[in-house]
Amino acid sequence: MNEYIIKIDNVKFKYEKNSDYAVKGVSLNIKEGEFTAIIGHNGSGKSTLAKLINSILLPSEGRIFVKGMDTSDDTKLWNIRQTAGMVFQNPDNQLVATIVEEDIAFGPENLGIEPEEIRKRVDDSLNTVGMYEFRKRPPHLLSGGQKQRIAIAGILALNSDCIILDEPTAMLDPSGRKEVMETLKKLNAEGKTILLITHYMDEAVQADRVIVMDKGNIKLDGTPKEVFRNIDEIKKYGLDVPQVTELTQELIKEGLNLPSDIIEVKELVDILCQ
Amino acid sequence: MFKNLTIGQHYPVDSPIHNLDPRLKIIFTIIFIISLFLIESFIGFLIVIVFLTVVITISRVPVKFVIKGLRPILFIILVTFIINLLMTPGRVVLTLGFIKITEEGLRQAGFMAVRLILLIMGTSLLTLTTSPIILTDGIESLLKPFTKFGLPAHELAMMMTIALRFIPTLMEETEKIMKAQKSRGADFESGNIISRAKNLVPLLVPLFISAFRRADELAMAMEARCYRGGENRTRMRQMKISKGDYAAAFVFTVYFAAIIVFKIW
Repeated sequence: MNEYIIKIDNVKFKYEKNSDYAVKGVSLNIKEGEFTAIIGHNGSGKSTLAKLINSILLPSEGRIFVKGMDTSDDTKLWNIRQTAGMVFQNPDNQLVATIVEEDIAFGPENLGIEPEEIRKRVDDSLNTVGMYEFRKRPPHLLSGGQKQRIAIAGILALNSDCIILDEPTAMLDPSGRKEVMETLKKLNAEGKTILLITHYMDEAVQADRVIVMDKGNIKLDGTPKEVFRNIDEIKKYGLDVPQVTELTQELIKEGLNLPSDIIEVKELVDILCQ
Repeated sequence: MFKNLTIGQHYPVDSPIHNLDPRLKIIFTIIFIISLFLIESFIGFLIVIVFLTVVITISRVPVKFVIKGLRPILFIILVTFIINLLMTPGRVVLTLGFIKITEEGLRQAGFMAVRLILLIMGTSLLTLTTSPIILTDGIESLLKPFTKFGLPAHELAMMMTIALRFIPTLMEETEKIMKAQKSRGADFESGNIISRAKNLVPLLVPLFISAFRRADELAMAMEARCYRGGENRTRMRQMKISKGDYAAAFVFTVYFAAIIVFKIW
């Protein structure tokens, strides 16, 4: 039962009474410690789904459980937000304080934790994301990738088991994206459940599990290899597949004998150079 | 253009004055202002000048910096001086056409000018030696007793913190929008005041829209991090009265007592 940290049970959601459903009957279970990537075109409902899990939005129909707590239950609201922390897209609009360490302390301060314990959590979180030496800096002087790492540290300081990230790399340059992905992989290795919403395929490839959403529904769900072999279907949803997968498929069409589930450049290089 | 803007002109060095408790510094500043208005003799001002010189020396803030704070109000000082000089009735010492300068006027004008200069120098020392965030903490803590009477102390402090946090961000954004509009032919530099003000519209509209969107996103992010107002909230940084604070309080009491003694004398 507790093996699933997030259980989504046939959830529907619409923003306004007369509008269309943004999420149309999604069921999804996420295991503890899993690194899941959700990809989808704009308006596919992926960000809405993230906000539903964090109890920022409440489902119109169906139920969501975070560690067994119903997100519609008002009394569990803060426990849910603490368990499933959320990082948003724009790094500038989620940092509250004028000094890095003050910002990371913001979450634990809200929970009413003792000052010495906050200090410890702030230092630990900063070390985990590798930003300890920046603790006294004002956030607006940091790069985008560094700001997102601060935002992640702010969630870590809440002691969240699960981190939901809503397109955290959309506004970053390639090196910033790399920083964030490395941080996430490190956290996942330490046992955190990661739910990454993205539209970069090369990021999705690095996850344990990829979910493709389109128009409020889950269309594909599986390991990156299982998902990305369906090139035609993925393209139908307005998404791309990793370049190397596409190249492999073209090579297969030309008559080369290659496996159809190649998603990383290294794999293809190894096979071709045998 | 806006990159070098510092808020409150904090001068970050390590000094005994910098390390004082912010609440104490705010209270000292208020009493300092009161003391300036109690003084009625030049000897009194001499005490203030000596005291201020000592404090500035200990604070390790260059005097140049403190004096620089006077520049924006130089005009006000000048106007006050002239008005006091010309408008005070009394024994005439100098007549230039219809202008009559009296002894009392000279005295009064000199008093006001010295008083204003010392006022600005003393109060700017507060912002020079205290970082904005610590100052905000101090204000929140001092206003806390008034929450009983409905004063939203925590909310005010949070608003100040967020304002401080977003000033550089919005400055950067202004610059970006300005460049974008200039590249589309907008003109921010020529014309008279009215046409210049009109030209600011294409700058302000996008800026406001984006600020509202930011506010919306920030509110969501704050809620996602379990923010629910000031109740039951703790702070990582605790303010503690230290030995240095007691020493400062003693010195300041001596200063204020001296001012009072000279007034009664």
